[in-house]
This record gives sequence, structure tokens and C-alpha cells, in this order.
Amino acid sequence: MAVTVRVPGLLADQAGGRKEFEVEAADVRGALEALPVRDLLFDERGELRPLVNVYVDREDVRGRDGIETALSGSETIRVVAAIAGG
Amino acid sequence: MAPSILVGTRKGLFVLRGDEDRREWTVEEPMLSGWEVFHATEHDGTLFAAANNFVYGATVQRSTDGGKTWERSEGLGLPEETGLTLEKAWHVEPGHGDTVWLGAAPGALFRSDDRGANFEPVMSLIQHETRDRWNPGAGGMCTHSIQVHPTEPDTIYIGISAAGVFLSEDGGQTWAPKNKGTAADFSEDDRFPEVGQCVHKVLLHPDQEGRLWQQNHCGVYRTDDKGENWERLEDNGLPSSFGFPIAINHLKPDQAFVIPEDSVRGSEGEVGGGDRVTTGGRLGVYRTDDGGQSWELASNGLPDPAWVEVLREGMASDRRDPVGIYFGTKSGSIFVSPDEGGEWIEAARHLPAVLSVEVAEW
Repeated sequence: MAVTVRVPGLLADQAGGRKEFEVEAADVRGALEALPVRDLLFDERGELRPLVNVYVDREDVRGRDGIETALSGSETIRVVAAIAGG
Repeated sequence: MAPSILVGTRKGLFVLRGDEDRREWTVEEPMLSGWEVFHATEHDGTLFAAANNFVYGATVQRSTDGGKTWERSEGLGLPEETGLTLEKAWHVEPGHGDTVWLGAAPGALFRSDDRGANFEPVMSLIQHETRDRWNPGAGGMCTHSIQVHPTEPDTIYIGISAAGVFLSEDGGQTWAPKNKGTAADFSEDDRFPEVGQCVHKVLLHPDQEGRLWQQNHCGVYRTDDKGENWERLEDNGLPSSFGFPIAINHLKPDQAFVIPEDSVRGSEGEVGGGDRVTTGGRLGVYRTDDGGQSWELASNGLPDPAWVEVLREGMASDRRDPVGIYFGTKSGSIFVSPDEGGEWIEAARHLPAVLSVEVAEW
């Protein structure tokens, strides 16, 4: 089953205007790496950029297994940029 | 074709469209909103932007349809063996043919041979033998100046804060420091080291062979022998050693423009960079017409009083006759002189903080 991934406006702009994606993935990392904006989510070492927050069904993945959190196939994943800066 | 000004700002990329006289300007809606555009340029109908976001990192973005759509370049990242990670994309410089260069932080250089679709790190520079003597500037260790010889594709000059000027004459396979005569006034033990100078901007004159100009943290310089020797110039009439941008005239090799900040002079043993606003409480552009042997204030039309900042990428010149000079301020104004500094026009105001200015006939 596919999971739904929703991205914020700036990433949607970089993905041709698309805000929502249906992807097949076994874990959160796989779901994010399936996106056309994966280069904006991960650095060159393959680490999730520190100011990128990820929620699975409204729960912060940091409270679970991070981006190694397993998926059953029906979840909604949201990418949210940290609120910071000016 | 009327000129356009590409303005990189903290809040996206703006384009100003001018009339043929370069006196009337209109501002278009911003592109790349949400991105800090450190530098933007145009080449053969393609727009390039070194665009950074504090969440999503450093990118180079390209548009072939006038900015309606953008594609990110691939390959931007530093190999694990370097121990470095890419911080910011600083400056995009089209080379000959399909080659495009990217200067980045920390002290990095990338090369593309497919018009910017893909980049590869230039390891010969990134792992330069002198790297352990480079220092980061206040804005990070940035490769900000890339000057490609107009007729010799393998000859490239780069400027890095604070590593100095380097020259490659083999297409980037090797790099030689070219800093003799440029001071590191902030150094306690060696004011004239081989590397470690805080170069702010380097420009190669397109027609006068061997001539480059440099605005440094510690002075303004000119070389006539491809960087083998630099002559320090600010004691010839400039109010300060410190500043960021410099502009030149492609028709008049002896003409250059700087915007001094602070009120310090390296010849008096002082190091600038403490204030970082335009000297004397005015927005003062200084011009030389004799290769830096004398400088005069060329600020007719510029605000006074004013305490303004202009960044290293914030000044440019066009290829017209008379040459137009353009610069943008961190307070969001764009100024244009259509007559080589004779008078200035405020082409735009109330933009976000200006990070870069380039001129395109596009």
C-alpha cells in the first residue's frame, strides 16, 4: 500500500507545484527518498537536514525510530520546516 | 535590447527592466521566493541562481524560460573524504562552451560541463595543499569570485575569503596562490603570507592582458602581471582600506569603482571591518581613472547622509558605451549610473536586502 507524503509550499514549488505524493515505502526514509525533492531533505551524507521535521500521522518521528520508523502502508507523512530564522 | 538587472536578495530573485537610456526601471515580481539568492546571472538565455535556504540547503537553480520554471542542478555536495559538507552556494560563473563554475562555502569549487545540469567538485582546489592555512571570513569561507579568461578557457582566477586569490592555467587541475603584495593586516605574525588573505572581490579585465583588480578586507589592489605582484592603492585618495564590491570598465582598463566602508587605513596599522557601513556617513562611490593612482568621489545623486552596506556581489557593470555601473544595498535600493559614475539614479527601493547584482541583455 502507498503512504501519503505532504510537503510545505516551498518544496511543492520545487516539485512542480505538487504538494502531495503517494509513494511505496517500507519506512519513512524510503518514503522521503522517493520524492523529487529528496536532495532538499537530505544532505550529501544522506542525513536528514537538521531543520526538517517529519510527522507520521501527526506524531513526530523523533519520538519513534526517526526516519527509520517503519510504515504499514496507510500512513500520512508530513514534512514541516522548523520555525526559525528571519 | 534594453538591459536587465538580476538582483539576488534575501527573499528571492528580482529582475529590473530598464529603458535604453538606463534611466527608467520597472521591478518585476520576485522569483525563487523563499530562497536567499546569493548570486544570479544569465548566459545564452539561461538564468542561473546560487540559491540557499536555511532549512533545505544550498542549490544552483536554472531556468531556460525566463524564470517561469526552475530546475535544480545535481551533484552539489562534498565527498566524505574531504571532511567537509556543503554550506552555501555563492557564485555561478559561466565559462566557455557548456562549462559552468560554482563557487561555494566552505572554500569549495564545482564544475559543470553540461550547462549546469550536473556539477562535480574540483578536488584540486578543495584539497589544496595550503588549505590548512585558510581562514573563514565573517560570511563563511566562501569562493565568491570566479574569473574566466575571455579567450583562454583553461585560465581561471578565483577569490576565496579568507584564503586569497588562486590561478589555474590548466582548466582547474592545479591552482597557484597569487597573493604577493596583498596584506593580511589582521595577522600577528605574517602580514604578507602566501595564503590566508581576506579577498572580497576579484575582477579580471577582459581586454588588458594580465590586469586584475581586487577589493580586499585590507585594501584595494591592482595587478598587471596576472597576480604575480599586487599594488596597494587606497592611500591614493580612498577614505578607507575596507569595502566589499568593486566594478570595472571593459572599455577603460584604468577605470574602477569601489564603495569604501569603515574609516580605517591599513597604512596606519588599522584593520577594518568593525563598522561595515559606508564611510563618512554618506553613500560614497569612489572612481579611479588612472589605474588607482588617484581616486575621486563620484556620488552625484547618491544619498547623503546615509549609512549603508553593499555586499561583495552587489555591484556590476555592463558592456555598453558609456558603461553603466549598478549596485544594490542591504537596505533594498538599486542604484544605476548610466554614465560611468557621473550621476546616479535610484532604480528601485524597498526590496529585501540585496545580496547580488548582475546585468544582462536579456
